[in-house]
Amino acid sequence: MPNEHYTGPLERVDHCRWRIPKSYKEGMRVDGLIYADAKLVEAIKQDKSPEQVANVACLPGIVRYSLAMPDIHWGYGFCIGGVAATDPTQGGVISPGGVGYDINCGVRLIRTNITIDDARPRMEKLVNQLFRDVPCGVGQGGVIKFDRRELRDLMEIGSKYVVDRGLGWSSDVESTEAGGRIPHAEPDLVSDRALQRGGDQCGTLGSGNHFLEVQYVEHIDDAPAAKAMGLEKGYVTVLIHSGSRGLGYQVCDDALKDLRDTPRKYGIDLPDKQLVCAPVDSPEGKKYLGAMRAAANFAWCNRQIMTHLAREAFARVFETSAERLGMHLVYDVAHNIAKMEPYDVDDRTAELCVHRKGATRAFPPGHPELPERYRGIGQPVLVPGDMGRSSYVLVGQPGSMEHTFGSCCHGAGRRMSRGAAIRASKGRSIKQELADRGVIARARGRTGLEEEQPDAYKDVIQVVDVLHSASISRKVAKLRPVGVIKG
Amino acid sequence: MDEVLARRNIPCVESSFEIFDHTADMGFRVRAATMPGLVEPAGKALYAIIGELVAGEPSDPLRFEASGEDPSVLLRDYLDELLVLFERGQVIVVRPVVEAFDASRLVIVGETARIDPERSAFHREVKAITYHELDIRKIAGGFEATVIVDI
Repeated sequence: MPNEHYTGPLERVDHCRWRIPKSYKEGMRVDGLIYADAKLVEAIKQDKSPEQVANVACLPGIVRYSLAMPDIHWGYGFCIGGVAATDPTQGGVISPGGVGYDINCGVRLIRTNITIDDARPRMEKLVNQLFRDVPCGVGQGGVIKFDRRELRDLMEIGSKYVVDRGLGWSSDVESTEAGGRIPHAEPDLVSDRALQRGGDQCGTLGSGNHFLEVQYVEHIDDAPAAKAMGLEKGYVTVLIHSGSRGLGYQVCDDALKDLRDTPRKYGIDLPDKQLVCAPVDSPEGKKYLGAMRAAANFAWCNRQIMTHLAREAFARVFETSAERLGMHLVYDVAHNIAKMEPYDVDDRTAELCVHRKGATRAFPPGHPELPERYRGIGQPVLVPGDMGRSSYVLVGQPGSMEHTFGSCCHGAGRRMSRGAAIRASKGRSIKQELADRGVIARARGRTGLEEEQPDAYKDVIQVVDVLHSASISRKVAKLRPVGVIKG
Repeated sequence: MDEVLARRNIPCVESSFEIFDHTADMGFRVRAATMPGLVEPAGKALYAIIGELVAGEPSDPLRFEASGEDPSVLLRDYLDELLVLFERGQVIVVRPVVEAFDASRLVIVGETARIDPERSAFHREVKAITYHELDIRKIAGGFEATVIVDI
């Protein structure tokens, strides 16, 4: 199905911002604002994602702008790369479409004391070990099982619950966004269907664009920030990308069903029925938020357990402990979430409901939510690229609080559809091509490597450069992949 | 419906599906002579996206009932049921029989089976059956449904 192009207005604000004026569409309460350079904006116009930015601008209680990051592409209701903050005191709403199906999909980065030169002779063994030890692919349950009561506690307590069970280090909790727990989670609002679907998937990678990647630090842009994170040129890192698995997908699906008639009940006129929503303070809004927070906490436990499994795999291959290998968590960030955060609005501080769908939190230096060791540099922002080229570590800058509700991009953004990527792979071995680039890849599914091949993605450098130049975030380090496992 | 079309000399649409590209995800379009006829190929399309799923041991029979105001949403809800059955126990519906499908009600019964892991292969995980561009429309000789799934 060919995507329709966006033909509405995109007014250039400056070298990296483009406005959709609220006069464009009836019902828009604020302008749309897209972060992109001149080259990216041409690609952005090739689908209807700017229309989705305009649609989100119609949500009740939206504050300042409907925003999109440079990795924007077409999503469901909200675009991917979308950010919107709503004010509950002004009728602000929560919309499951502004979080996405994969609640708290996110990324975490682990550093090591291993140099890439020391790791290369054991890389194949390491990737095979990780592939054996970290469950991935369609229908894979986790190796660590939780009964219903334990799942309830896990969704209430978040990362600390699994760390206390010996599946991590206490420092991991501090190095996770929100301490790996959104308060006010209500696990009892997670349906039986969601528990049956994904309850046994905690500690599993999944499929699609999720991955576990072994990398090394290829280049440092900001030495003091890199030092604070324990990153050094030539040293191995591990990047894990996954979310709340079937449990979270079902929480979103349940909410979309529950909220089908809610806009009508509250007299909310929506340009797209996928933007179903409810006032944040309404019973329906609170119900979704309670279940969504429980799924978010589940996702943090999911990534925490995989961290534990990865540490064990490294320890086995390098024949020493993960502690001796210095496998500390640098940071863990969510990029599909809605959180209540304070911002200055019209000379007052308002607690806003910030939706980030395919967007990463990027708090600046000095923010009280950051762990002490990052207060001076800003929050680490992890931006995966593709498995052949690079990923980036950034830090949040003051511009993020001023302009983007403390938000930044979340990835490179797809350039090719899955079908196009498979067609482009015909007659080629992506696995061999990756090996020629020095990347050992293992995938469970038959089409995983083809669909996720490097050419399927934009170059992540283009995306991070936009936000670097807009002072939303600053580049710290470039990571180069050497091993990858996929579902 | 087939008889009516035949009397008017309009060839019936054969049940079929095609999978199409959609940015980061995938979709499928299903055609059939009747609205109930959309059900089986829609299930096959979903399974084809997930992988090559071969039925093994029989499992519990299916009875699915949904009501609402939009037949495309009812079909979506059935596909969501297939997805959850698969994820929960690697169970697939092998012979769905549509007892009712109109604008407000969908009832399906059917045999199910666990997939045979030795003869099956997986391609990708489907996260959800979305509402995005979800549609059932009348076409010459039958009906066409469009469904996009989140990968």
